[in-house]
Amino acid sequence: MDAVRASGLVKRFESTTAVDCVDLLVRPGEVRGLLGPNGAGKTTLLRILFGLIRPDAGRTELLGRELAGLGTTALHGVGGFVEEPCFYAYLSGRANLALLARLDGNKATPQQIDDALSRVELGDRADDRVSGYSTGMRQRLGIAAALLRQPRLLLLDEPTSGLDPAGTRAVAALVEQLAAHGVAVLLSSHQIGELEKVCTAYTVLRAGRVVWDGTAAEIAARAPASAYALATSDDDRALAIAAEQAGVRAQRSPRGALVIAAQPDRLDAFVLALGDARVIIRRLELLVSQLESLFFALTADESLDHLEPHELADKVLAAA
Amino acid sequence: MTAIASSPPAAAAELGGEAGYRNAYRAELEKLFAQLPTRLLALVAVIGPFAFAAVLKIQSGTPSDALFGAWVHSSGFAISLVILGFAGSWGFPIIAGLLAGDLFACEDRHGTWKTILTRSCTLEDVFAGKLLAAGTAVIGITLLLAASSLIAGIAFVGPQSLVNLSGVLASSGRVLTLTIVSWVYCVLPVLAYTSLAVLFSVATRNGILGVLGPLLIALLTQLLDLIGNGVIVHMLLIGSAFDGWHGLFVTHPFFGPLLISGLVCVAWIGASLTASWQIFRRRDFLARTDTGKPNWTAPIRVVATAAVVIAVLALATSVGPTGVTAYRVSAAIGPEFDNVTLLQQALIGRHAPPGAKLDVLPNCNRRGAAAVGPGDWNCNLYVYLPQPNSVPFQQTSVEYDVSVEYNGCYKAQSPPTFIGGPTMQDARGKSVTNPLFIVYGCFNTL
Repeated sequence: MDAVRASGLVKRFESTTAVDCVDLLVRPGEVRGLLGPNGAGKTTLLRILFGLIRPDAGRTELLGRELAGLGTTALHGVGGFVEEPCFYAYLSGRANLALLARLDGNKATPQQIDDALSRVELGDRADDRVSGYSTGMRQRLGIAAALLRQPRLLLLDEPTSGLDPAGTRAVAALVEQLAAHGVAVLLSSHQIGELEKVCTAYTVLRAGRVVWDGTAAEIAARAPASAYALATSDDDRALAIAAEQAGVRAQRSPRGALVIAAQPDRLDAFVLALGDARVIIRRLELLVSQLESLFFALTADESLDHLEPHELADKVLAAA
Repeated sequence: MTAIASSPPAAAAELGGEAGYRNAYRAELEKLFAQLPTRLLALVAVIGPFAFAAVLKIQSGTPSDALFGAWVHSSGFAISLVILGFAGSWGFPIIAGLLAGDLFACEDRHGTWKTILTRSCTLEDVFAGKLLAAGTAVIGITLLLAASSLIAGIAFVGPQSLVNLSGVLASSGRVLTLTIVSWVYCVLPVLAYTSLAVLFSVATRNGILGVLGPLLIALLTQLLDLIGNGVIVHMLLIGSAFDGWHGLFVTHPFFGPLLISGLVCVAWIGASLTASWQIFRRRDFLARTDTGKPNWTAPIRVVATAAVVIAVLALATSVGPTGVTAYRVSAAIGPEFDNVTLLQQALIGRHAPPGAKLDVLPNCNRRGAAAVGPGDWNCNLYVYLPQPNSVPFQQTSVEYDVSVEYNGCYKAQSPPTFIGGPTMQDARGKSVTNPLFIVYGCFNTL
């Protein structure tokens, strides 16, 4: 049974078509990244999946149950949040979760509430009022609230927004472990880097339409090259070696280092060649991942074919 | 964040059936009583009557403009009834507004509609839960105020008998019963105000209007009570329902206003809640409307509609039969004067034989206005006293300034030269309230 099976979803707001004939499939245990620039329709799609708005056309099944109207029966086993998680500021984090547990039919015990708070590292601030929470803490409380429902499908909208790098890594780890237990996760984000670590599949939206849909492996096979910043002991020699390597493009960056565009396997061969030539690599840093390249290629308004690697890197970094 | 703990969520049982309105109700109650205004309201409901009674205890003045106000030093029940009167004018609308006016709008302000509606609660559950919570809180605070006012009155003054609105001394037991019935009856109009607060909250999505809405309606009621002589519009106002209990405190109770205002309240509740639900269920809970900032489009629409309704009501206040007439005022004040005169005589030790009565001929009119409608009246009471061993009858004239309200209740006051001051000495030399100084009464306007 698929966690999400949506077909032909359309949602219009006056003259704007926010979601345009979208098909979406999320399988159990799959972590699917929902990518797209701002205004691509990600949040609208999540609102439809939560039953918060009715699509103008199309059909949605969550965990085998059809989502019709604003009913909540289809949401059993579904957890998560859309946009930033919101809570009652005058209540503590624990009281908010207790209240939400009550709205779930008292399925969560106080111990489970404490566990959920501990899992997002809010245990020591559980009795503080939410009004004193930072954005990141509210985000973590939102994840705890989602976990209380013991979800089989987790819908998360920008889950790492407002989190520090450690918090982001922790969310990624949490998502991975949930998926390992069979939970299907649909992660919406416009920050691609954070998704690449955990997603096993991607759906890319642009202007309300699906422009790419596939697994992480398919991206690796079909996405444009990654871009790297490279600093060596002899950049001129490195450029010359790159020119001899098939599938490697190198340019001197206006900022001083080199920018290399290559598929991972081609990069490996290039690095070995540099070593053979006794060119010391002082820095090799990923500038633009394959996913970012693909994302940018799919969502940019211009053709990227003519761009030099450093120009591509600059554009992608600017867009990020 | 720590790594995921032991229990695999996917292995956990799927959430079962609907959370149901009971869970939504309990959640709403928890939210309501976690808020400072609710707690303060409960505190005021408990402490307020005691403070009021304590202040009255240490001063000789009385809130004589309120029904039974002149009797607050004589009977603890009068304190409870005065508080009930004040609450009917302003207190209950404030309670309803504070407890129900922000109930729906607060979700818009906090942006929590999405949070609630992505749990296992249906729209119906949430709506019913909120209504029940508001109703419970409002009834709870009202009954708390009732109990507190009764206890405060009895503690500070005592459970003495009270002169009723026909000028007859009613026993403590009867007054206690009637006071409790009156408070309980007032729950109905309080719920009507609560329903209106809910409607304001749902329709405007603005907590400020939701809270102030019932208060504005109470103010409007007070203003409309000052104009027009017709009974129909006045009976249709929620505020008028708080006067329904007055008819219980006369010697021959009349229940017409009580029953009609009760039905009117039920109609208001039904209409308000139906409208609220229709608005609520049609709503799209889009994030773009949940910005946390007040949305003034709906409030302006509601205010404009309200202005039209007010204008229509103002024009209609004279429609229907006239409730306050010279005949009714005279017919009420004459026998009552007889009763309070005999009561005064009894207090000073002159007990009239059973069935004794004065011959009182009242003549009530308004100065410079037609002798109908609420306002200031003037009543001349021509009293024919039996004079044994002399001329058979001697006429005495007593003049009362009578302030009559649209609901048929009045306060009559005469210069001390006629009937003495506000207090007098009883047969034992104790200072007591002079029953003739200020006379409260009510007649049926229907």
